[in-house]
Amino acid sequence: MGDSFQVHKLEKFIIDDSRFLFTLTSYVSILITFINLNTLKSSILGVVAFVLYFLINGIFLSHAFFEKEDAFFRLMFGVLLLIMLLGFVGWLIMIIYNLDVPELSLVLFIVTSFSSLICKRVKNKNAA
Amino acid sequence: MPPSEHGFSKFLRISEILYLFLVALSFYLLFLSRAGEARTVWETLHPFFFPTLFATASLLVIILLTSEKVAYKLLLVIILSFLLHSLFSIVFPAGDLSGQQIVLGQIRRVFDNKVLHGLSGWPTATVQVFIFEMFRGTNLQAALSVIFSRMFSIDIFYVHLFFIPVLWGTFIPVASFLTAKAMGVDEKASVLASLLVSAFPYTTYFGAISVPNSLGFIFFFYSLYFMLKHLSTGDSRTTYWILIFSSFSFLSHYLTGIMSFSLLFLTLAFKAYEGEKESALINARIFLVVSFVVCVSLLPLSFIYMRFFSSTSNAVFTLDKFYELPFKEIIGLFFLGELVHGFDPKTILLVIVGPALAFLWMIYQLYRLRRNPNDKFRIHIYFLFTAFLIILVDYRILKLFMSELPLNEERLWVFSDFIAAPFVALAIFSVFSSLKTFLEAKSSLTITVASLKTLSKGDFLHVLGLLLAINVLIPVLLGGWITFSLSAAYPKMAPLQTTWYELEAVKYIEENTHEKYVVICDMWTIFAGEMIVGIVNPSAYYFREYSKIGHDLFVNMSRDPSPQWMLWSMNYTNTKVAYFVISEPRLGTEEFSSILFKAKENDLQVYGRPEGFGNGKLYVFSYRKE
Repeated sequence: MGDSFQVHKLEKFIIDDSRFLFTLTSYVSILITFINLNTLKSSILGVVAFVLYFLINGIFLSHAFFEKEDAFFRLMFGVLLLIMLLGFVGWLIMIIYNLDVPELSLVLFIVTSFSSLICKRVKNKNAA
Repeated sequence: MPPSEHGFSKFLRISEILYLFLVALSFYLLFLSRAGEARTVWETLHPFFFPTLFATASLLVIILLTSEKVAYKLLLVIILSFLLHSLFSIVFPAGDLSGQQIVLGQIRRVFDNKVLHGLSGWPTATVQVFIFEMFRGTNLQAALSVIFSRMFSIDIFYVHLFFIPVLWGTFIPVASFLTAKAMGVDEKASVLASLLVSAFPYTTYFGAISVPNSLGFIFFFYSLYFMLKHLSTGDSRTTYWILIFSSFSFLSHYLTGIMSFSLLFLTLAFKAYEGEKESALINARIFLVVSFVVCVSLLPLSFIYMRFFSSTSNAVFTLDKFYELPFKEIIGLFFLGELVHGFDPKTILLVIVGPALAFLWMIYQLYRLRRNPNDKFRIHIYFLFTAFLIILVDYRILKLFMSELPLNEERLWVFSDFIAAPFVALAIFSVFSSLKTFLEAKSSLTITVASLKTLSKGDFLHVLGLLLAINVLIPVLLGGWITFSLSAAYPKMAPLQTTWYELEAVKYIEENTHEKYVVICDMWTIFAGEMIVGIVNPSAYYFREYSKIGHDLFVNMSRDPSPQWMLWSMNYTNTKVAYFVISEPRLGTEEFSSILFKAKENDLQVYGRPEGFGNGKLYVFSYRKE
């Protein structure tokens, strides 16, 4: 019960995204990924940035599209949708040019911006 | 919390901890089974793995039948599902020796930036070819694998190995649960469906190899869930979701895409039937029959029309099999498909038991629905039964009436398995519920163990038998089914998988050669090479697995291991260095020793390790152009 409450609190905190704090955090995780790939090449840092990125954007998308589902399924759908979105944008950019480090950062940037904006839009719509 | 509930909760937590311990032990045993040189996973699998897995699966069934939270149950199922689908990736050094290694070779080109504009590049011969190549599933999988690989900052080799096992293990049980739930199935039975989807051998196999088709299956299953949801709600948003998942299914693989769109059409037909049946029943029924025929014909026709997009596709309708094969084999192919060709009865049983049970339960459900025309989920059962029939008919059309298909028809089993899993769970859960209801009817006699003493011997045995059936027999049977279905899922016969020393040799060549090079080797080393340097890499050239030139060069080098063939290959591929790789397990000791002797006699230089790679099982010779 306590765990579930904590998860809900975290989810709500991320969705609130006051002053775009979590959107910025997501951008920072992209920056970390970019720097890591160019200099450190550390898998640990990569995994940390990945988890951060997936958690924030997965929750954004889950809230935007699957608000009425239970928490577990909401998160599952959010993560699946994030994977699909990354795949689609990545596929497009790969077809247009390739998927090297700068292009990857662009993919991550587009997906974060989309997730954040759509989440904000749904939130405003619900508030209205 | 009442004391009995508190005790139960404690028992549940202990069971869950024990379950997690058993899963960890199973993973540990799997890592102990890891082999650098093996043909099948069964050769090196730890003897305790199977018993541990059986205990784990049985314990999980017990947990699933309790009143634990659904999310926790699904998490536990996901962990087991990942374990069941990762045998290839953990036991073999480079996963299964199959199409998934070729796919890795293709994706490697994107990862290493060897190609631009997708795997086929621009320009292509015609607009149709361009469209076909862009929409090939390997592109989507390449994009996803490269994104994950770069984000984790690890080599694409490892990401690719675990790509599908992780995605499948996570999302397929959830999709199975949701599908069962959308059919109006009880929550416990739905959770059971999420586990039982791993008891279908073909499904388990496709969840264990990282190929675009497997990715497509995942999206197909979610599109199926949204189709059922659409039948319940009619909400336009669900139509968008069906379209989105069907499109992704198509983007992953055309087989899953065509099936998704085919069932999407069927969904719309069912919805239209529901709307029209009150006013014009006969018209609505005719429309439904026509829709069924259209849905059945979409897949076979798509193979025929694929030739407009790809020159490699030559599928045709034919009656050749009826003329060429004996009648007995035709009947065998009709009922069992590929299983008639040399599979043992146990494997056949494990493959067909799930779909057969589901089919029988569907028939029973349809019979029951005749007496209950207002059932809320009537249309769902009819829809799934029709979808199941479409797949059965399509499979027979592809198997018996078509030839030169670009893929193995057996892949269609996975679609039917997805539909079957919720029905099997429903059937088993109905047995479980009936036994429980029967036992509860005698609850006054069975409240305490002490009160059992008051029963007559006959009643005592009766109650004890039911208790055993509920608490022991069902978990043991299902645990056993899941465990034994692995023996049908993972092949028992296979060529020697990519060995650790083949991988070591190709990595050594790649890391220590700073000029363009070509490697003359057998097709097994080509598989290893492609995984490390990518397919048709002009700087590190391996001939394609089925290249005639590559094969002839290797044969000539084996007969006469001299610099002339190496020079020829360098001139042909515009490279500076040529390597010749021979391996003892692939060639046989006699031929291997003979080539080794002749090569040394012809002054070919042993490259890398003078004593050979893999304790002398593999030798690399090199020759540099002056």
